[in-house]
Formats: sequence, structure tokens, C-alpha cells
Amino acid sequence: MIKKIVLTTATLSLLLLTGCGQTAPDLEGANTGKNNVSDATQIAGDTVTIDENRYGNQNSADSNSSGKYNSSSDGFQSVYFAFGDYGIAPGMESRISTDANVINSSTASKIKIEGNCDEFGTDEYNYALGLKRAKAVKDSLSAQGIAANRMVIVSFGESNPVCSSPTDSCYERNRRVDLHLVK
Amino acid sequence: MHDEKNEKGIELRYILLLLLSLNLFAVDATLKIEKDVEQRARIALVDASPVMDEKFFKILLSDLKISGHFLADTRHHEGDINSNYLLPVLKSKEYVLKYALTKQAGTKLLIRLLKASDSTELFKKSYAIPTTTKAPFLAHKAISDINNILKYPDISWINRYVIFSRYTTPKHSEIVLADYTFNYKKVIIRGGLNLFPKWADKNQKSFYYTSYSGLTPTLYRLNIYTGNKEKITSSEGMLVCSDVSRNGTKLLLTMAPQGQADIYELDLSSGAKTRVTTFNGIDVNGKYVDDESRIVFVSNRLGYANIFKKSIHSAAVSQVVYHGRNNNACDAYGNKIVYSSRESQNSFGKNTFNLYLTSSNGSDTRPLTTTGVNQFPRFSTDGSVILFIKHRNYGSSIGYINLASHQSLLFPLSGKKIQSIDW
Repeated sequence: MIKKIVLTTATLSLLLLTGCGQTAPDLEGANTGKNNVSDATQIAGDTVTIDENRYGNQNSADSNSSGKYNSSSDGFQSVYFAFGDYGIAPGMESRISTDANVINSSTASKIKIEGNCDEFGTDEYNYALGLKRAKAVKDSLSAQGIAANRMVIVSFGESNPVCSSPTDSCYERNRRVDLHLVK
Repeated sequence: MHDEKNEKGIELRYILLLLLSLNLFAVDATLKIEKDVEQRARIALVDASPVMDEKFFKILLSDLKISGHFLADTRHHEGDINSNYLLPVLKSKEYVLKYALTKQAGTKLLIRLLKASDSTELFKKSYAIPTTTKAPFLAHKAISDINNILKYPDISWINRYVIFSRYTTPKHSEIVLADYTFNYKKVIIRGGLNLFPKWADKNQKSFYYTSYSGLTPTLYRLNIYTGNKEKITSSEGMLVCSDVSRNGTKLLLTMAPQGQADIYELDLSSGAKTRVTTFNGIDVNGKYVDDESRIVFVSNRLGYANIFKKSIHSAAVSQVVYHGRNNNACDAYGNKIVYSSRESQNSFGKNTFNLYLTSSNGSDTRPLTTTGVNQFPRFSTDGSVILFIKHRNYGSSIGYINLASHQSLLFPLSGKKIQSIDW
């Protein structure tokens, strides 16, 4: 008798576990439209589409580079970070020195320092984390004598991954700061 | 022998208890409440269209459900728009909504709301648009109209556009307009990296967004009807329009002019910027709260992301949430706050994020979800409904929780990862 009750409860449990949440049907919507609904001002009128494809067609440089990771360009070395962290790890200090040498031997007036994150953060907080990483690299370069006004920092949050596989090594490659000369 | 039976009995009882516990925790908190069924008006839909449209019927059903005011018959009945005859089975309802949808030379919708008991016509209206693409908006408009005719609390938020940005390829995104069910979608900015769209006005004529087309992030305002684009400001590091005051004259921005992410208030009429936070860590996601003289925001000032509150013009900061170890996104309406809380500690892979509702003084906290990854919570313009994105093993959805009726709906999302959303 008790076995029957257990079996029944188990079946009910499975049904409830799989059946929770009410999902509306997936209905493919249309993509464009002109509209003028009487008495519905918020959808009256045609809306525009802006095409900005002329900008930003370049992907991160050297994303297929062999050996140790690097997605910076112009001879710079990317700097990598631990999960959720924005401190420069001791193992990354030699890369900072390399980057300082590249800047010192360059005639470019500006260097862009781009902070990046893995996919696990959300919303604004992830962009702030990328910014802290870029700032940490900028401060380290300043400490090596690079003029602060030659460096521009920008956070790209999780928008610029160099890989997308669900592996630790991929996540590591995305938690980074890239450097580029502004030409 | 007898003892063995007793032991088995005890074991089985433990298993029973475990299975029952699993059931309790398997269901979203928002879905457990169907107890007020009798308070909702029983309504049936009768399709009098020349060609019956299952998609449109289901949109009408979704609208009725999320309103929280109707208990809709899910059967797709067929009938005649002009006749007052109702099938005997429909007499048990309170209302019958007859409708005829035609999609020739645009889209036309005729609706008649009848009292089920005696077929009295309570409301009749026709709608027309020149194309078929925005047909979902006709469904939303019709249901919000009959909701108003029956004098239920306003649900006009179902007529609004949702705007969101989604990643396409590295350093590229697009900004998309949609209806709340995502059955209508239109790309409004394609190409480049354009992020964090935020409606600029209550009529949804313009929105703010951050463009990465220059050396530093730049905030623009774009009119969706004229395409007129206006530069608002730019900042090194990062720049996000996190909130717009109710009258549209002030913005809360996350900016980093000295490389430090802090929250600023921008007065659009004078151009004056007031630095609201000064912490040497992460302060982001500012949202006006109470009478808009204060904000709530996300900060890592205690070593982890959490929700705090402060007055715009004074330095004191107070902690709002005393729950969770990673509360990294929030939204506010009046004194209500909704936040997303990470409830597992995996550095990589699957984590559980749940939504909680609380107040600006931290009282009356309650969970809104209990399963999956629930992020990007956003209040409707009247504060009655919360939009959010839900990820589960088998896919992502856009979800809505009606706070008053406890009704919730999920619509499947496909493909590209959403970066930010507003409505």
C-alpha cells in the first residue's frame, strides 16, 4: 500500500516538476511594419531603422594567435584576470612591462585600453567590472611612467568575447584587458 | 521481522516527505496562486474571422490572462460576428468576446463584447492598420479597451513597446522594438555596438542608448519616428542611462569621467551634472525611488554586489537589502524595489538567480521566482507588473509577473543574448 502511495507521489512529482511555468506559444513575429491604429497613439506612425554597419566591422585582433593567449594588437600583450577580480596578478606584471615598452617606443598619441568580462555577469555591473580591470592596467602603466593622458579606457563588458565555448579556459580568455594603438 | 517492516515504513515515509518537499519548491512562487479564480470574470472568445488565426487567438488569451481580471475559456470557438446567438455552453460565462480579424489590404479587427446571459451588447469597436505586422498590437488594444469598459484597473501597459539590445557578434549588437509578447519585432538600430536602450518619455517617441562608435562611449537620444539623433554626453570608461525621471527632464547616468564608475544626475535643461556617489569601487544601476529625491543603486562597497539607497543631495548611504551575497541588478517604482539575487556559488556554469520584491525601507521582502536564472527585472510604467528574462536548461523566455493578481506569463525567446531591456 505504502509502495503504491510512493509510486503515485513520485509520478505526481515528476508531472509537477516538468509542468511548472506557463509558457505562451512561440509565434514568430514580423519584422517591419507601418501602422496607424485608431485611438492608439503609441503605435501610430512608422518607425525608422538605423544602419550603423559602417562602424566596427573589425573583430578583436589576433584572436587566433597561438601559444599563450593574446587578443591585443600592435605588439601589446593582453592582461588576464581571475573570476570577479580586478587586481593585477603577479603573473601578469611582465605583460604590463612589455606593454609599457610598446607604448614608449610608439609615436601614437593615444592608447586604448579595453576592459572585458566573461558571460556570467549581468547588466551594468559587468561593464563596471570591465572598467575596473581597464583602470587597473592603466594605473599599472602609469606607475611605470606612462603619461595618463596618453591612455583612454573603455569597458566592453561581456560584449567582446574571443571565444564562446563553455569551458574554463574560454572564460579565462574573456576576462581580460586588451590594448591597441589609436590610429 | 516486525522491526524491519517498521524501519521500511519509516524510510518510505521519509521518501514521501522528500518528494512532497520537491513539489513545494519546484513551482515559482508567482504561479502558486490560483485561489482568487472566482474573482476574475469568466470570458469566452468567439472567432468570426474568415480564416481562423490560432496565433491571434493565443495572443488574445495571453492578454486576458496577464491582465489578472479575466478567466478565459481556452477553447477556440467559432461563430458569426453579427449574430447574438451564443452556444449554450457559453451561457455559463459572464462575457463573450466575438471578434473578426481580416488581413486583406492591411489588418482589420472588429470586436463585440456580449453579456453571456442575455447576449446584450456591451461594447463594439473596429480597428484598422495598413499592414499585418503589427496585428499583435490590435489584440492588445482590444483587450485593454474591454478591460476599461468593464472598469477594471488599467492595463494599458500591454500596448507599450518593449525595447531591447541583443548581441549579434563580438563588439556588435542591435536594438529591437517589440510588443510585450515578442510576436512583433523590428530592428531599429542595426550594426555597430549600441547598448542600454532606455525610453526617454512616457509616450515612447524617443529612447536613450549608448553608442561605441567613437573613442569613448557616447549617449544619444533617438526619435523612433523621425530618426533624429541627438548627442547627450560622452564619458571615458562606461556610460549608461540607468533611469529617466517621471517628467523626462533628468537622467541617472553611470559614468566614469575619471575612470571610476559612479552615478550622476544630469539635468537636461541646464546640462548640469551632479555626482551622486563617490565610492572608490563599483556604483551602478541608479534608479529613482520614493519622490525621486533619492535613488537606489547597486554597489560592491561591502565586498559584494548589493542594493543601497541614498539621497541625491546628501552623503549618507544606507543598505536596503540584507539578504543574499550577490544582488547585482535592481529596478524601482515609487517605494517598491525589485532585485535579482544570485543564490548559488558556482564560479562558472549554472547559477540560480531569483527575483525579490522589497520596499525602499527594506520591509515586506518576498520572492517572486524560485527556479532558473531570472534577471533584468523592470517595472511597468504603472508599477503593477514586472518584466524579466528567464533562462532555464531548455531555453530563455521573457516573463511577466502581475504583482496584484499574481498571474505570470512566459514567452519563449530564441537565439541571440539580450544585453539590456526596457518598456
